Amino acid sequence: MFRNAAIIGVGQSAYTRRPEPGQSTLTFMRDAVVAALKNAAIDAKDVRGMAVASFSLAPDAAVDLAWKLGLSLTWLSQDTNGGSSAMSMLGNALRAVETGAADVVLVLGGDATGLAGYAKVAANFNTVTQKHLAPLGHGGPNGVYALVAARQMKKYGLQKSDYGHIAVAQREWAAKNPFAVYRTPMTMAEYLAAPMVADPLSRYDCVPVIAGAQAIVVARPDRAPKGRPGVRVRAHRASYNYDNQEGDGLQTGISTFAKEFWQEAGVGPQDIQVASIYDDYPTMVLAQANDLGLTPGNDLARFCRVTIGEQRFPLNTWGGMLSAGQPGGHAGGLNGISEAVLQLQHRAGERQVKGARLAVATGYGMTMYRYGGTAAAAVLERAE
Amino acid sequence: MTPGMTIWRCAACRTGFFPERLLCSRCHGETFATDRVYEALIEEISIIRHMLGQENWQPRRIASVRTSDGQRITVGLRDESGPGDTIELFEEGAAPFGRAKPK
Repeated sequence: MFRNAAIIGVGQSAYTRRPEPGQSTLTFMRDAVVAALKNAAIDAKDVRGMAVASFSLAPDAAVDLAWKLGLSLTWLSQDTNGGSSAMSMLGNALRAVETGAADVVLVLGGDATGLAGYAKVAANFNTVTQKHLAPLGHGGPNGVYALVAARQMKKYGLQKSDYGHIAVAQREWAAKNPFAVYRTPMTMAEYLAAPMVADPLSRYDCVPVIAGAQAIVVARPDRAPKGRPGVRVRAHRASYNYDNQEGDGLQTGISTFAKEFWQEAGVGPQDIQVASIYDDYPTMVLAQANDLGLTPGNDLARFCRVTIGEQRFPLNTWGGMLSAGQPGGHAGGLNGISEAVLQLQHRAGERQVKGARLAVATGYGMTMYRYGGTAAAAVLERAE
Repeated sequence: MTPGMTIWRCAACRTGFFPERLLCSRCHGETFATDRVYEALIEEISIIRHMLGQENWQPRRIASVRTSDGQRITVGLRDESGPGDTIELFEEGAAPFGRAKPK
């Protein structure tokens, strides 16, 4: 439990499929920073720490961004853990505040790679991808997770429509999120009729690449705006290279820490009222949910058909990246954390889960070879 | 095209790896010798029908396979082989490919 640090504000830029002339990673990041600081009622001159992650910030680095934002800092970090960067940065920011390294920390992610830029990122993700995967025409992460999905369907007896329950339910949530790029309701028939991208993954199984940025503000709980509770983190855990890529990818690094994670939180999966599970693919939502213990009896089919299909559990209530869009995995992960914060502060508007007090959020990423090698999770709590 | 594919075998514990490592994940030995494997069993396949940023993309088949030495790797498939089939491995540059083993 982090007792002396909390999330006190969140903010985001507009999300767009195709950036207009003049829009860039930096301008999206600026917009997210302005929104988050306003939301937290914090003056920019009071920001003393910053963590940032982006695929498209280079050749600039974190300190260049601090310069361009006019921030003079005592603590600065740049994270490279892809879909779990947001959660990694959150943990580091909480520790920075608790240890006094910085009073107020801005956590920031954003990207505006464009489709061609993202294709370059995907083909050059690491040296192993450059040498051993891209020459196969492997299709980037879509091809990697197509093979994981085929394995998951075989092991757990899943049908294509089981993944559809996640995509359809999240689209319904997205209809209530003005920032989501895809808000038109989707039926199961439409999901099933979508063209294949990488068998068995079809269009709505693959996260859409967009441009945008997200930011959160971490500070002492008493810095929260008057009349609004901050959000505390009861437990935070992370895992990096958990199995040397020698498993089947159907478990994530979350499986290595789930038991101590819930012990630290002092609550269990059954107590969680809203969840933000990193959703680059429905396949990996299921893998993480299973690792967290959200799928009793490892019954992934029942989780899809009943828990999600019958709307019994609020999962990815901003629409998830599958519908809201993925402005890089870093900002996508931050969006999940931000949504949990809004839900716990009871500021989620039409999406509000009544009386939400406890949430879980995860991050998952860095497709090193056959699946992702980083994962992290946090239990968040409304701080009264 | 080179028959078989390169793996890296730890000199201390003899575990074979693909891709190449710096230290053995089993014994943390630092010395490796190259070896070759020639066969693999297909576990899952996918057909890549769309590639971001590419027009006129022709579908390609890839597979997750387990080599005869035990490594689980991703290969490009050059024929219609499917799950459960044994394939022969070959390399193009540093990339592993496979096709049905001649009967």
